[in-house]
Amino acid sequence: MAEGPAAMVTRGLRVALARRDVLHALSMEVRFGEVLAVVGPNGAGKSTLLRTLAGLLPYRGTVVVEGAELVSLSSVERARRVSFVPQQSSLTAALSVREVVTLGRYVHRPALSRLREVDHLAIDAALRHTDVLALAERAFSDLSTGEQKRVLLARALCTEARILLLDEPTGSLDIEHALRLFALLRGLATTGHAIVVVLHQLEHALAFAHRALLLQRGAELACGDAREVLSAEHVRTLHGVTMISGGAPSFVLPDEAP
Amino acid sequence: MDWLRIGAREKERGTTARMRTPMVLIGLAAASIAMFALNLLAGTSDLADGKLHDTFLALRTTRGLVAYLAGSALAVAGVIAQGLFRNPLASPDVLGTTAGASFVGKLSLLLLQATLTGGAVHHVLPELLLPLGCLLGALLSLLVLLAVARRADDAVVLLLSGFLLSALFLSLGSFVTSLAQESWELGRAVIAFALGSVTGAGSRQVAIIAPITIAGTLAAMLWSRPLDLLLSGEDEARVLGLDVTRTRRWCIAWTALLTAGAVAVGGNLGFVGLVVPHGLRRLVGVSHRKLVPAAALGGGVFVLACDVLARSLPSRTEVPLGVITGITGAPLFLWLLLRSRRSLLHG
Repeated sequence: MAEGPAAMVTRGLRVALARRDVLHALSMEVRFGEVLAVVGPNGAGKSTLLRTLAGLLPYRGTVVVEGAELVSLSSVERARRVSFVPQQSSLTAALSVREVVTLGRYVHRPALSRLREVDHLAIDAALRHTDVLALAERAFSDLSTGEQKRVLLARALCTEARILLLDEPTGSLDIEHALRLFALLRGLATTGHAIVVVLHQLEHALAFAHRALLLQRGAELACGDAREVLSAEHVRTLHGVTMISGGAPSFVLPDEAP
Repeated sequence: MDWLRIGAREKERGTTARMRTPMVLIGLAAASIAMFALNLLAGTSDLADGKLHDTFLALRTTRGLVAYLAGSALAVAGVIAQGLFRNPLASPDVLGTTAGASFVGKLSLLLLQATLTGGAVHHVLPELLLPLGCLLGALLSLLVLLAVARRADDAVVLLLSGFLLSALFLSLGSFVTSLAQESWELGRAVIAFALGSVTGAGSRQVAIIAPITIAGTLAAMLWSRPLDLLLSGEDEARVLGLDVTRTRRWCIAWTALLTAGAVAVGGNLGFVGLVVPHGLRRLVGVSHRKLVPAAALGGGVFVLACDVLARSLPSRTEVPLGVITGITGAPLFLWLLLRSRRSLLHG
């Protein structure tokens, strides 16, 4: 993996929710050109970390995004740099898939302006990349959870932000779409994006992430090359289970089959 | 960006779906013209009387304009409130905004009486007292509700809070009405205002409601994209680049202003902000860019039709407009509610 410039850097990051410290003095870095997997048991602070990096939670310490402190950025500046795909959308209104994805162009369009050619290109590319082009005219609320996740990713891609935060993006995806998603994320990383993805499935982190950040009770247990960090010892410390290598089947997309 | 170039624009769109909104807008514009024509003809006065022909037409024109613009204002206010609170059941009357505007409006009528008799207020023009009072009441009500909504983002809590606010302001308003009975003229004015009426509306009322409705509709159009973003909730809207605090502030201001303007010229016109956006959402979809102009036209047509009906019913005295909007709006909303129970309950 080629080391790129720092996309996001946190120093002494502390976040409290309901007067309870969730993240404790966390210092981490994500670089352009890499996929960073955030791994840890339930309640470790993974989603809180992502929501903080997305600018949704107040924090102490510093979070520097492409050289600028996160809180100093305006809403538009932040959205142009950082995009976030939540576990689930709060959207219940009957917007079409295309309309949902079009919302991602908000930061690029002047008020009342019609969609320009560049907007249409971005929207169609995002729909195509996430394999939801065929669903474009369907109501978002009528889709399955997995399909909705792909639409939310398309919306995030539409913002053209170079830092992409994803909270358990494969949770409801079938195996083919999960593999396609990771292929897409790796592809985005090679074109210079920085990807931070919260994962529960360690085999996905091992197979697709360049680096992994292991969180335990809101603090860093380890951070580094995914294959080195996700060792049997760390997995036992984090989850209390024993990792057995080589036994489980692995899957690849048809065009990647040996 | 490289990944952008890979995609090609999808040109095949559903023609029917694309044409539906323009067709609905054209239909509503045609209905507006037809209703204005009916408005000129409806009423007990005889247009055949050559001496009074022009006077009657002028009176009916301004009255029709006021009814139409008040309806537009309430429907657009409903659209903004529903977007702001992410709930299709939110509307100025359900949320207590209309009752708030009405209560302080009644208070300002009392103040106006005091101004005229004793010169209690010198710094405010008397004709501005009622609209300003309505605006203050609407703002007060919305701010209380927003504080509740921020503490508990739940549709039931929101609606119950709106119901409570509405009940509170109606009770306070009733108290003001009873105080107003000390003077016969003031008592009549307050009751007419409470029942909702555009009888006798003239150019002064047009001058109040026209700029508010036009500016409010244009503002809602301008804020249509932020309102679309809010459909995903405040967090997602924020991530997509929306300044949620600023948007919320503007939405409250415009909802209050539009409601206050409508209440100031037409009194308490129930169900307009609820029924019209909800019915039109089924035709043009939830995108605010389409919904706002449709609501502006649809709200106008609805209230003007109610006013024409109010003047056409065989009755010794004219049925108050607010009574007609309530009688027609309530069953209409119930019908819409039953047809789309699922989407309403899931807000």
